Amino acid sequence: MLRRTALATSALLIGALLLTSCTASGNDPAPSGEADPNATLTVRLSLEPSNLDIRRTSGAALDQALIDNVYQGLVTRDGDQNNEIVPALATAWTVSPDGLTYTFTLRPGVTFHDGSALTAEDVVTSLQTAQGDATIQNSADLANVASISSPDASTVVMTLAKPNIDFLFALTGRAGLIFKNGDTTNLQTAENGTGPFRVENWNTGQSLTLARYDGYWGDKAGVAQVVLDYIPDQSAATNAAVSGDVDVALEIDPELQSQIEGTGNFTIESGLTTDKGILAFNNQRAPLTDQRVREALRLAVDHDALAETLVTAQTLNGPIPPLDPGYEDLTGSISFNPDRARELLAEAGAENLSLTLTIPNVYPGTLATFLVASYADVGVKLQVKQVDFSTWLTDVYTNHDYDLSFVRHVEARDFGNWADPTYYFGFDNAEVQGLYAQSLATTDAQQSSDLLAEAAQIVDDQDAADWLFLSAPRAAVGTNVSNFPKNSLNVRLPFADVTVSSE
Amino acid sequence: MIRYALTRLGLLVLGLVVASALIFVSLRVLPGDIAQLVGGTQASPDQVEALRERLGLTAPLWQQYVDWIGGLLRGDLGSSLLTGTPVASELVAKAQVTVPLAVMSLTVALVVGIPFGVLSALGRHRAGGTALSVGAQALAAVPVVWAGMMLVVVFAVWLGWLPPQGFPRAGWSDPAAAFRALILPALTIGVVEGAMLLRFVRSATLQAIGQDYVRTAAAKGLTRTRALVRHGLPNVGLSIITVLGLQVAGIIVGAVVIEQLFTLPGVGRMLVADVAARDLPKVQGELLALTGFVLVVGFVVDLLHRVIDPRQREAS
Repeated sequence: MLRRTALATSALLIGALLLTSCTASGNDPAPSGEADPNATLTVRLSLEPSNLDIRRTSGAALDQALIDNVYQGLVTRDGDQNNEIVPALATAWTVSPDGLTYTFTLRPGVTFHDGSALTAEDVVTSLQTAQGDATIQNSADLANVASISSPDASTVVMTLAKPNIDFLFALTGRAGLIFKNGDTTNLQTAENGTGPFRVENWNTGQSLTLARYDGYWGDKAGVAQVVLDYIPDQSAATNAAVSGDVDVALEIDPELQSQIEGTGNFTIESGLTTDKGILAFNNQRAPLTDQRVREALRLAVDHDALAETLVTAQTLNGPIPPLDPGYEDLTGSISFNPDRARELLAEAGAENLSLTLTIPNVYPGTLATFLVASYADVGVKLQVKQVDFSTWLTDVYTNHDYDLSFVRHVEARDFGNWADPTYYFGFDNAEVQGLYAQSLATTDAQQSSDLLAEAAQIVDDQDAADWLFLSAPRAAVGTNVSNFPKNSLNVRLPFADVTVSSE
Repeated sequence: MIRYALTRLGLLVLGLVVASALIFVSLRVLPGDIAQLVGGTQASPDQVEALRERLGLTAPLWQQYVDWIGGLLRGDLGSSLLTGTPVASELVAKAQVTVPLAVMSLTVALVVGIPFGVLSALGRHRAGGTALSVGAQALAAVPVVWAGMMLVVVFAVWLGWLPPQGFPRAGWSDPAAAFRALILPALTIGVVEGAMLLRFVRSATLQAIGQDYVRTAAAKGLTRTRALVRHGLPNVGLSIITVLGLQVAGIIVGAVVIEQLFTLPGVGRMLVADVAARDLPKVQGELLALTGFVLVVGFVVDLLHRVIDPRQREAS
């Protein structure tokens, strides 16, 4: 089963992204003035979407810009409340005791940005299309759906072929977004969603402007406009913040942070993410098929020192990050021990090992340098092959042609990749697959979480990969800005509640 | 003259044909695949195949090339696979940043290069001339990116006179802001290119000073400077035109880099983004347009030579 794993393409473009334990200057600053409903909020992001077609084009840049702001599903998730599922286009839902039937009550009074009213038919066709068309992002999330129907104008019922405890969460993603039935809008360059913002203007290579949708069903957006300013270069982004061109700068370079703080107009925030820096071992290729070799490679790396070097990172000792169900603190499961690593390599007969690391060129060179030095210390020669992201997708993701690979996996709840032997990790463990299947099939959240934790423990024990760090990107938020979201900003940026005060 | 122009034009067209083939082939050799990028890391091989079909990428390569050339002959540069927007209209939109930037850069290069080049040649035995020459040598060796960062630090961050990055969202409907946004980038490219031009003008001028006709003119009673200006510089001008033709290409390359550094929504930034997205039909249209532009500049330079230099006219 293939699960979603949007990679941190956005975050990545940046050079030195990472920092240590968050010295975020805490305390929400008291906004200096009244919230101004006519204000424009300007936010710096690094990576621009290549088009606006959120149904078919991958990349976190689109999730950030459009989900919750322009497009909505029946439900969404609240990043700042532990990714809790909350109502969106459905006001309420019930799940049958066997976990197979989901009944949603549609919200009345919802309109698309072209003014037409949302109907149950729009919901049914959107979901049916997403299920039937393989070119739609995360279509596989709905593969298990047996039927989608609407018994009356305000109800939509979905039945599953087998229970899936992650189903509601899947509906908060791309496959669950609702579009107007028979819409002729060119979704590559325009939109017709139901969210609190319309796309007002897209200056390619520069910015995307969202404007408050006055016909919105809920509380109207707190600002009249949101401008997403795409500034890939870190020093240009810092300058933009210092000179006041942006109200919020996401994913700032910690080395340049002091310049931004020096203005006194920003506080530095660092929220939680599910953005895992994974050093994948090709579990299907010798000598990495040998667990001793994999363990040795993990023992050779001082993860605390790495997190400190990268700055916007904290250690992550297993496949599941703290925001996801099944998280357990696995600290100590692997601790820096080069001597033991050398022993293990000798036992495995893998002395004078030479391996290649395939890494997209969007990541800072510091990371590869750190690994080269760590491995050299235990007698492993690491060659670094920097490629662009597109090449990585072809060579590593599709063709599995690699020894070691590094990318950041930003998406939440993507443990399923460890239960899928055809995924590029190539990790094939029947016990993990069984536990994962059970964790989905149960209708009890606690039980599901326990099963996941058990499976995660095995993946960790088997040293299926090295979880180098969990990203803790820093955002500079203007003191004139209130209610800016904090967690998982690399996949969701809900702007509806954000306000900007007049100075 | 007309025969000469037609020959050059023939070469220009031949150059374009060769360039189109080179561009097409080199882009196809590039690893990576747009369908894979659009599908991302959740797409299975089957889904990628479905996307490839949707994007119309299943036709054999030779047919894609023939289709492209066919479109070019009808004046159609192609369209983006990702947005469906015609390449030509995208180029026109982005040229509103890049063309003014190039013109401003060229102006800076000329202002820096020509007068100071001549001055540094004339004053070669004095401290000022030597300083100019050494300074130019140093500047010409400076990477454009570094020059840009230094200019930003001084004029945008310390002095706060000019914006450090970006272009006004209103574009040229806010002409003052748009112009201000281009000053630092243009200075960055212009000063570095100008320093190269300065060195060239200096050595060309030095050569002219040593020419017999300049000495003769001086012997007839003109001052050395006047002899140089009246008789030497017109000859220098010819080779400067050639160098300027080459520098136009340099400025375009400089613009690609500088647009990243200053976050300017111009042709260069678009090109880099399109390559990263593997939007090959768009990239090949853009590259061909740029190649065509450089070839046309070369063509014009060749013709200008003919028009200006009687010796070349007679020779044919």
